[in-house]
Amino acid sequence: MSVQHINVLTDVFLITCIVQRGRAKAVLKAAQDAGAQGATIHYGHGHGVQEMLGILSVAINAEKEIVNILVPSDLCDMIFEKMSIAGHLDTPGMGMIYLTRIEKAATYIPQHILDAISASDAQKSDV
Amino acid sequence: MDKPQKIRYGKLIRHISLRQNIISFNDFAHRQLALRQQSRKKKRASLRGIDIYRLLAPYISSRFIAQIKVVLPLAVYLILFQTLVLNQIVSEPVKILLGLAAVVLGLMLFMEGLSKGLMPFGETIGHNLPAKVSLPTVLLVAFLLGIGVTFAEPAIGALQAAGSILKVENAPYLYTLLNDWSTTLVLIVGLGVGLAVVLGTLRLLYNWSLKYFIYGSLAPALGLTAWCMQDAELSKTLGLAWDCGAVTTGPVTVPLVLALGIGIASASGRGVSALSGFGIVTLASLFPIIGVLLLSLFVAASTTPEAIIAAAHAGMHSAASAIPWYAESPMQEVLAGLQAIVPLVVFLMIVLRVLLREKLPTPGIIAYGIILCVLGMIIFSIGLRYGLTALGAQAGSLLSAAFTAVEHVSESPIYPWSIGIGIALIFAFILGFGATVAEPALNALGNTVDTLTNGAFEKKVLIYAVAFGVACGIALGVLKIIFSLKLAYLLMPLYTLALLLTWLSTEEFVNVAWDSAGVTTGPITVPLVLAMGLGLGNAVDAIEGFGILSLASIGPILTVLLTGLWVQYKVHKKHRAMDQQVQGEAA
Repeated sequence: MSVQHINVLTDVFLITCIVQRGRAKAVLKAAQDAGAQGATIHYGHGHGVQEMLGILSVAINAEKEIVNILVPSDLCDMIFEKMSIAGHLDTPGMGMIYLTRIEKAATYIPQHILDAISASDAQKSDV
Repeated sequence: MDKPQKIRYGKLIRHISLRQNIISFNDFAHRQLALRQQSRKKKRASLRGIDIYRLLAPYISSRFIAQIKVVLPLAVYLILFQTLVLNQIVSEPVKILLGLAAVVLGLMLFMEGLSKGLMPFGETIGHNLPAKVSLPTVLLVAFLLGIGVTFAEPAIGALQAAGSILKVENAPYLYTLLNDWSTTLVLIVGLGVGLAVVLGTLRLLYNWSLKYFIYGSLAPALGLTAWCMQDAELSKTLGLAWDCGAVTTGPVTVPLVLALGIGIASASGRGVSALSGFGIVTLASLFPIIGVLLLSLFVAASTTPEAIIAAAHAGMHSAASAIPWYAESPMQEVLAGLQAIVPLVVFLMIVLRVLLREKLPTPGIIAYGIILCVLGMIIFSIGLRYGLTALGAQAGSLLSAAFTAVEHVSESPIYPWSIGIGIALIFAFILGFGATVAEPALNALGNTVDTLTNGAFEKKVLIYAVAFGVACGIALGVLKIIFSLKLAYLLMPLYTLALLLTWLSTEEFVNVAWDSAGVTTGPITVPLVLAMGLGLGNAVDAIEGFGILSLASIGPILTVLLTGLWVQYKVHKKHRAMDQQVQGEAA
């Protein structure tokens, strides 16, 4: 009986960034320029800050876009910063970003990369 | 292979990236809580100037750019055409430029005000009214709202502006309709829209077919047109009547009326299908035609052309001597803006408070929206007068210089007659195509159609079909003005063809096709095309320059119906081929 293998990724962080509807593209571009790969965007409805801003709240769209990106731990700080700058998150009502540690993840990994990794692991163990 | 690395990549990144200022959320939350307890009443966040700037800059610029994208290409096209093809310098460029800027600014303010101030009313009323009062009351409110939105429609102002270009001797009935009877005219159009909302809502409620409504409203419209054609003076008002249908379905009417209609239909428990909401726009563009035709018959019965000409001349003399301060240009627009929006708001307010007994969720923001609406309307109509109408009229009158001699254009005709006519037609065609492709409402319609037909009728196909129809319609309209063709001879066969195609098509395509005509005629296209037609009409001494818009409405109806039939045929053929394949395999 053959054992089925799955490739489990570790050192994964999840960046979640909530921005106004229509702004996700800019944030995503910044993340990808900084080395992130794919992303998932979904829609949500924000609540809270508008009540505090009074008439200025007209400038804020309560409809939000939520960007989820899985990033390698080495890059997570860099991407986090680039995204928060691109999203203008230091402005009231613009949204927020947070980083979560992920225990493990699994997805498709190209065969040649798997080979390269196992080769370098073998080399490491030789040293 | 790689040597094992000594420096971790993450450490390198740490060094070159930003310095993070770390604050504990515990601290932040404690401080905020303490502050809030100190000043119970003041819940507002205090913002620095830079924060307000950062907050408002993208808010304003994105809305500004959205309007620029619509106005700028058209203006650039008109100006380039005028300078490069006709070799004429744009006269009064500063005034026109300022006018165009006012159009962009006004439209931006107006659209934002509409979504913040008026739409919440429409949605609240549409959702809650059917639950609280009986159906006849709901329909009465819908009817009155239809009248109210017509007065608030920015493109209606274009009609009045068009009236001022007209010469009274050429078409006395038309002149009096647009000048002395202008309020009645808008009221009649409003009645038509109101009736359309009522019947459209009933249609949604009882799932009636739109086809019968189209047959039922086109028959009297075509009949009255045939009747008016008999009279030489009356036939000149036909262009106005058929154009009114296109004017009504603008940026105020369509969303507000749809919000109400769909709200009523969904609250009554009928499921909201992809098709609900369609049809009201169609009816709102057909009924006003009948209304205006009847009004012109009434005017013709009550007064004679001679009396109108005499009165207009007398009026001109007295008007030239003393124009009251409130009828002068900027004040007139301010008053018109207030007149358009305030009654609508008061009406909506009364419905909300008296019938619904509900309070507005966010009165401050709604007030802000209404103020923006009024301001936007005022600025837009000032811009309309000095920018769009002036530019369109100029382009129209210069267009004639391409093929005939025009007194104030030296070296005219610029081109030999046949080439000149060709250039004029190509100009009109591209103008129509470009203006339609840029229309944002068409994009939304395209998405609906795409999902409705499971992708068989692609969005791109719809947009190009509509744009091609509008372009052909506008080119045909220019031909009509140049050769003084009788509009009735053009409209009657085209609408008869449309009826035939409607009879052949399925309900979905009928809905989409007839609505596409209303959707295409936005607040930029209508004044521009109207002014161009009138300018051209004056330059070639045509009797009147109306009718282009009506031809631009029938164009997309025909093209979309035809494309729909073609798509249907293709799908049918594909299904048959697949069936045969399946049968062959089974055998």
